Amino acid sequence: MRLPVFCFASLLYLLHPAGALADGNITVAPGFRLPAIANADGTIELDSYLGKVTYLDFWASWCGPCRLSLPALDALYEELRSEGLEVVAVSVDVVDEDSLDFLKRYSVSYPVAIDTTGDIARSYSVGGMPSGYLIDRTGVIRAVHVGFKRGDEEKLRLEIMELLEE
Amino acid sequence: MKTMIANVVFISTLLFLQGCAGPKPVAPWERGYLADPAMQWQRSAREAKFAGHVYTSKEASSGGSGAAGGGCGCN
Amino acid sequence: MSDRAKTGIDSPLVRSISATLSALPAYQSTLADAPPAYTEVGIRHSYYTEDSLDASDVIFGSRSRYDIDVTQLWIEAPVGGSWSIALDVQNDAMSGASPWFVGVGLDGEPGVVMSGASIKDNRVEVGVTTRYFWADGNAGLAISHSEEDDYRALSFAFDASWNSSDNARTWTASASRSNDTVTPVKERIPVFIDEESLHTESLYFGVSQILSRTQIVRIGLSYTASEGYLTDPYKFADNRPEDHDRWVLSTGYRQFFSNADGALQADYRFYSDSWGTDSHTVEVGWHQNLGRHVLAPYFRYYTQSEADFFSPIANREATYYADDYRLSSYGAITAGLRWTVQLGDWQIETQAERYQSDGDWGVFSGKAAPALVDFWRATVGLTWRFD
Repeated sequence: MRLPVFCFASLLYLLHPAGALADGNITVAPGFRLPAIANADGTIELDSYLGKVTYLDFWASWCGPCRLSLPALDALYEELRSEGLEVVAVSVDVVDEDSLDFLKRYSVSYPVAIDTTGDIARSYSVGGMPSGYLIDRTGVIRAVHVGFKRGDEEKLRLEIMELLEE
Repeated sequence: MKTMIANVVFISTLLFLQGCAGPKPVAPWERGYLADPAMQWQRSAREAKFAGHVYTSKEASSGGSGAAGGGCGCN
Repeated sequence: MSDRAKTGIDSPLVRSISATLSALPAYQSTLADAPPAYTEVGIRHSYYTEDSLDASDVIFGSRSRYDIDVTQLWIEAPVGGSWSIALDVQNDAMSGASPWFVGVGLDGEPGVVMSGASIKDNRVEVGVTTRYFWADGNAGLAISHSEEDDYRALSFAFDASWNSSDNARTWTASASRSNDTVTPVKERIPVFIDEESLHTESLYFGVSQILSRTQIVRIGLSYTASEGYLTDPYKFADNRPEDHDRWVLSTGYRQFFSNADGALQADYRFYSDSWGTDSHTVEVGWHQNLGRHVLAPYFRYYTQSEADFFSPIANREATYYADDYRLSSYGAITAGLRWTVQLGDWQIETQAERYQSDGDWGVFSGKAAPALVDFWRATVGLTWRFD
């Protein structure tokens, strides 16, 4: 009889939310400092983006939809950079090599960092791959996008334009 | 008799899986290895179809594939 | 003009099953819930050749058996943000001979009388699959049609998958139906029917579970029922029931080893049907990543028990009877190797396997059929993916 009780108890555990963003309420984007692997030197710090509208994108070389999201984000970045949009990508690959190979095929012009331990992804309670966090000028997360389908960039552009006007 | 056993095994496994939430959950960003082509249930869709066709034609048995993967946190 | 029934591609029972099989989900993978990010076009060419029979097993007729050249062509593409579509075309060019019936040879042992040699036939199968993706799953509908001299099949299959909220568990269900018509060719050997039909329905339900960052497991159950003309019209002594029910319990396991950059693949299937046959299938493989190359050796062990109405020399006094070796008790081993290499957007694949069967290799007891089949199979293919 102990087994069913144990199993039921562990089911309850699964239902318990975890992570800073689990309750879905508006939160300040957790800060980080991560090594850069493309389009930047040294480290990338979230704090340096305060005052800008920032799209923080978690991706990986093994994530299928990322073959669509990276080029789409790059296009948005090229288009709205002059109006104040910043894009920062964080790869969760465990090996730098894998991310760099992916970027050779799908190159982007925005800064890319790497989070091999997954600690930053955990602090953002990343719920799926890819995950994008739209952060306003005050550092508050205004939208979370999990997954990427063709056409998502249109919706994202509208959201970004709204925030750029604030 | 045997089909009844197969059914019982199947349903028991499902109840066990459903009652147990399973081992420590794997976070979406930790699914790189699971996404490796080596972890597919089938070698390739067309190879699986062809091999299945050959074996079904030459043996008495048929079927047995058709499950989806374990989910990836990719949406 | 063809002597059917040789690879069983002709046996009505078998073809209806293969139609159902071909309609099983073509897209299932661990990355389930988005349409593919690229369009894929591919071609595969396979050569299948059966060993010639020993002279001692043949009473009359050709010793050489069946050869088949198979070409598979496909295109699979995303449509908009949530859909994908695939078109598959397969052509089988068959030639050869197969057992017509089993009699008693001069040595007193059972031996086969073969159908004529140099038979040629061609089968074409066309299938379309559409798939819809949403955040937590996907669903597909597949329709396919297969046509050859003496057999026509139309099949439909629907499948759906759902991911649990943490994406660690995926439930899959599928249902399919195939309507087949057999019109045997009468040129070479006497056949006693003009046109008969049969239909097959199948249901599958399964679940797969992520156990850890490197392990997944799955279990599934399927039920298939065929009704109609299930006898092999090209066999002299063959009369099968008009119903055939099959249950299959299948399980699989995959584990990735990051130090080796490879994965262990293991699958087991238990089959049991209403004609008295049970079988076990065990498949074990290793997938080794080597930069742009993948080398994957695999091994399969299969054992089946005989059908209730099977005997090496058919008993025509009984209600149902068959001397078809495919309904006998035996064991079979396959050893194979698959090699693929990725060159940019192109992938080249090659694969070869050897299959050998023997009445003594099975775990079930039963009377040995002469003329169990052994074969080689080789495949080469080319796939192109582009955005």
